[in-house]
Amino acid sequence: MAGVPPTGDDFRTAALVIEFKNVGKIYKSLLGNSVKAVEEFSLTVVEGEILGIAGPNGAGKTTLIAMMLGYLRPTTGTVEINGVPARQHIERNGIGYLSELIAINPKWRARTALVRYATLAGISHAEIPQRVGYVIDLLGLAEHRDKKVKALSKGNLQRLGLAQALLRDEQILVLDEPTHGLDPVWTQRFRDIVDELRRPDRTILIASHNLDELQRLADRVAIIDRGRLQRVVSTGYENAAPAAATRFRVTLASGHDLIRAVFPQAEDAGRGEYDVTVHSINELNAALADLIGRGALVASVVPERSVLEQQFREAVGESQ
Amino acid sequence: MSRASSLARYSLWQFRDFVVERGIAILIIGFLWGYVLIEPLRRSMGPAWNGPQGTTVFGIALQVSSAIVSVSVLIALNGIVSTDRKLGYYRFLFSKPVNHVLYYAQLFFVYMVGVVASMFVLSSLLHTVLPTFSIPHFLIYTVLVYVAMGGIGFFLSVATRYDWLSLAAVWLGARMLRSLYGPRNDWRSKVVEVLPPVHKLDEVANSLIGTGTAHATDVLWLFGYGALFFVLGLVVLRWGSLAD
Repeated sequence: MAGVPPTGDDFRTAALVIEFKNVGKIYKSLLGNSVKAVEEFSLTVVEGEILGIAGPNGAGKTTLIAMMLGYLRPTTGTVEINGVPARQHIERNGIGYLSELIAINPKWRARTALVRYATLAGISHAEIPQRVGYVIDLLGLAEHRDKKVKALSKGNLQRLGLAQALLRDEQILVLDEPTHGLDPVWTQRFRDIVDELRRPDRTILIASHNLDELQRLADRVAIIDRGRLQRVVSTGYENAAPAAATRFRVTLASGHDLIRAVFPQAEDAGRGEYDVTVHSINELNAALADLIGRGALVASVVPERSVLEQQFREAVGESQ
Repeated sequence: MSRASSLARYSLWQFRDFVVERGIAILIIGFLWGYVLIEPLRRSMGPAWNGPQGTTVFGIALQVSSAIVSVSVLIALNGIVSTDRKLGYYRFLFSKPVNHVLYYAQLFFVYMVGVVASMFVLSSLLHTVLPTFSIPHFLIYTVLVYVAMGGIGFFLSVATRYDWLSLAAVWLGARMLRSLYGPRNDWRSKVVEVLPPVHKLDEVANSLIGTGTAHATDVLWLFGYGALFFVLGLVVLRWGSLAD
């Protein structure tokens, strides 16, 4: 069952789970050249939160996650989970992790791969068939369970990767590009699964290029670029009175002649669709109420860009 | 369930991997190598095989078997850590509640059991045609070579991506440098003293496989050298990064 996500002030009062403290990573080549992959990154993630990490290619998302999992040592700063160094926490408690690159020995069969991971995860011998069967069913892998990993399609491999991350009832889930390679049906199914995984005592990190996905799933999104945290955006609309003008596409089923009476600057986009500009959610709602009051039938209202997309473009720049 | 017990349970999977990916190859290579070198000799010698010339036969068997042990250790240790790092398998393995240092330490010992089991099969075959060949002595020698050579191989697998190549280079390089500079009485002879004690393996092979005894100092030096590098490998694993 989906839990209630912390909102507004809840984020400030909920228990701290993951803390990046001034984390930096510099790669040095043998010739002495250095590249700053991550710089002075500080961020906290709290219990019950789904935090998205967005950024263009090479922004440092995967490096950040590798440092969080203890696979990569930060050059500066620390990453802590529940107050202890992240690696130490994972060695004691484990974590549900889906990496961007699904690296599973290609000679293993899908089911035996899950049995192996379940064994390492500390699931008892008696429980393994049940847990493995559960994730196989959850991710629709039943017909592929006896196939070798190398015989799986990209989408099925991605689902196998997600299946191993869900073997245990983990407190923390880290999903790096989770819908990469999934078809639209399984992309939607994945979103449903994440919704089902949402729980007040569970923290989920999702790194993705897909802003629409983060807008739908995450409570907040950390936007990073060139290794730096640019801003943290709340994805909800409740605090999202746009500072600048925001465009929406309004589709009318009837009452086309009424649109300019309410939105004088409306631009006809064809097929009963109009682009309108407002300066707040309140202004939008008042105008729509007026439009409907005049007898128009509104079929849909869609922002041209989501709150996240607007913020992302501002943070990273239109060139990205 | 404790982390230690789940890791111990996982050793069965590690042993299975050894059998499928390395053990079968070791058995095939060892059998073919031994068969090609020893069987023609046995046929040509006829009854003399078990006669006074048996000492020469034993010497040849000893040389072949000790070489097979070295090659088997090389096959066993190839990519023991570096493959997981190169191919990214560590990502899912170590997101589970498992200490990666203990995981690889256990893998090292599981592979040792695998190499010893493979050598047991091969030496049992040799024993059927050469009854004077002692299986227990040979297995003790196998353990010694595994620790001496494997310890360095383990360290190289942690530290480099091309571990078997590095190990072969270190092994051959140490032999060559020692034969070049060892006899001289200058600073170079002192330097080669600290290189891997490969040269001692020949003496130890002769005495350990042949009679079941060896100079304690040679055995300790070989064992200690490998064990030291194994521990160094674990230290680098603990404090280094798994990802590049």
